[in-house]
Amino acid sequence: MAVTETVKQVKNVLEAEGLVKRFGSKTAIDGIDLRIREGDFTGLLGPNGAGKTTTIKALTGLVKPTEGKVHYYGNDFLRHPMEAKRFIGVVPQQSNVDRDLTAYENLYLHSILHAIPRPLRRGKIEESLEFAGLQDYRDRQVKTFSGGMKRRLVLVRALLHEPKILFLDEPTVGLDPQIRKNIWELILKINQQKGMAILLTTHYIEEAEKLCRSAYIIDKGKIIVEGSPDDLKKDMGGYVLEVFLEDRVEEEFFSSKDDALARLKECGHACKIRQVTLEDVFIKLTGKRINV
Amino acid sequence: MFNGFQGVLYRELNVFRKRAKKQILASSLSPLLFLIAFGWGFGDRVAVDGLPYITFLIPGLIAMSSLNQSYGIALELNITRFYFHVFDEFLIAPISHVEIVLGEAAYGMFKGLLSTALIFAYSIIFSVKLVIGPMFFLAILTHTFLFATLGITIAMLVRDHGDQATVNTFVITPMIFLSGTFFPVDKLPAVFKWLVYALPLTHSTKVIRATLTGGDVNMLYLLLMTGFAAAFFLTALWAIRRVEG
Repeated sequence: MAVTETVKQVKNVLEAEGLVKRFGSKTAIDGIDLRIREGDFTGLLGPNGAGKTTTIKALTGLVKPTEGKVHYYGNDFLRHPMEAKRFIGVVPQQSNVDRDLTAYENLYLHSILHAIPRPLRRGKIEESLEFAGLQDYRDRQVKTFSGGMKRRLVLVRALLHEPKILFLDEPTVGLDPQIRKNIWELILKINQQKGMAILLTTHYIEEAEKLCRSAYIIDKGKIIVEGSPDDLKKDMGGYVLEVFLEDRVEEEFFSSKDDALARLKECGHACKIRQVTLEDVFIKLTGKRINV
Repeated sequence: MFNGFQGVLYRELNVFRKRAKKQILASSLSPLLFLIAFGWGFGDRVAVDGLPYITFLIPGLIAMSSLNQSYGIALELNITRFYFHVFDEFLIAPISHVEIVLGEAAYGMFKGLLSTALIFAYSIIFSVKLVIGPMFFLAILTHTFLFATLGITIAMLVRDHGDQATVNTFVITPMIFLSGTFFPVDKLPAVFKWLVYALPLTHSTKVIRATLTGGDVNMLYLLLMTGFAAAFFLTALWAIRRVEG
């Protein structure tokens, strides 16, 4: 029977295979495989020192991997970085904007470096400033900006050349909760309105859980598990019974609420039932808390 | 094409523009002090190599001051790289390392030429006559290029500001004092002579002085300067590649 399907083919933006980076005798990442498809919203989660930033740097050309392959739309990134670089937008951990330049000049610099045709530059920059809500600060030196404003500027700067994938390394670290929310909304808008694939690292795991449609959990330079946050949680059981012992809290996992309740009734200690979080998944797999 | 070169230069010149007043004022002070102390202090009572001392001194100051400015981009690059991480923007962009080096070098040359112009202005005040011909321009362009690329190399190799200061103390400052900027190197004992002739500044000071005072330019020295320039261009490229580890 012939089945004619018109399923839209979703292309892989990024494929990385066996990525290794050693600094001297220290192995920062140890065989990372990643696949990001168009429009994906993926989190790379792990504790400090797990290799998240090195992974991002290796994928964006700031660090040369010792081994492995990286392809953007099939273009070999390590052999021919120039062709692949136009697909990439990067928001690094530090807001690395030029303090002495104005917001407009910072964006203009980016437009030259990324060879945006001269007649298009102005319009694109004005549009970016509006998207970031910075149009009133267009000609102010960036050194007068708050942390949140700098972050928004770095974000729209990374988008100026219309990349296919945006890398965000701890995009909300060091920001106030209200501003953090504001940045997340902007990132979500970029993903949804522009259809841009997103790969981000964060240790605000509860925020990642809400936003990411897929996650890689990384520890000691290796990916230990991947999947959608929901699937990962389901695999753990879905429900946690927290048993409050005298000196510690013990966690037991159950696949249904009824099972958890049954256990609760026979348990002689104070107990609490809650849903599994990505944090639980993480602790179970690595034995470490992520928010340390 | 050349968008990398353009971008780097756009960034550096715009940053410079905002601090131009302060920068120019700061770079104009030290040559003036030298001129007052040694130029007026010795006046024309002292002759060196058949020239009044102040006429001998001014080309040396041009060599020194333009070196300070061209090489001085190392400090700016350092801040750009370690404090503000702006250098990452260059590395992430689809531009070649050659363009980054040439863009930064052009900025260093610009600063070197600016300080040269300043000392020309002083030479008028101190009524010293100089010959400014095409050979001088060839010399000063090579000179500023070679020290700008040396600056890029050092800025990419050091791990922090401390390292940078160490290089300045042990390499750059001694070189400035020993390379014939203030006195003729041929007066030095033989051992020192070997040492100073290994330094690029010795050659460029000799060539710059010869072109400005109407003396004979030793083409071998100019050739050596070109050699140093080519070598430092390559080390700058290598050093940037090394940053990507």
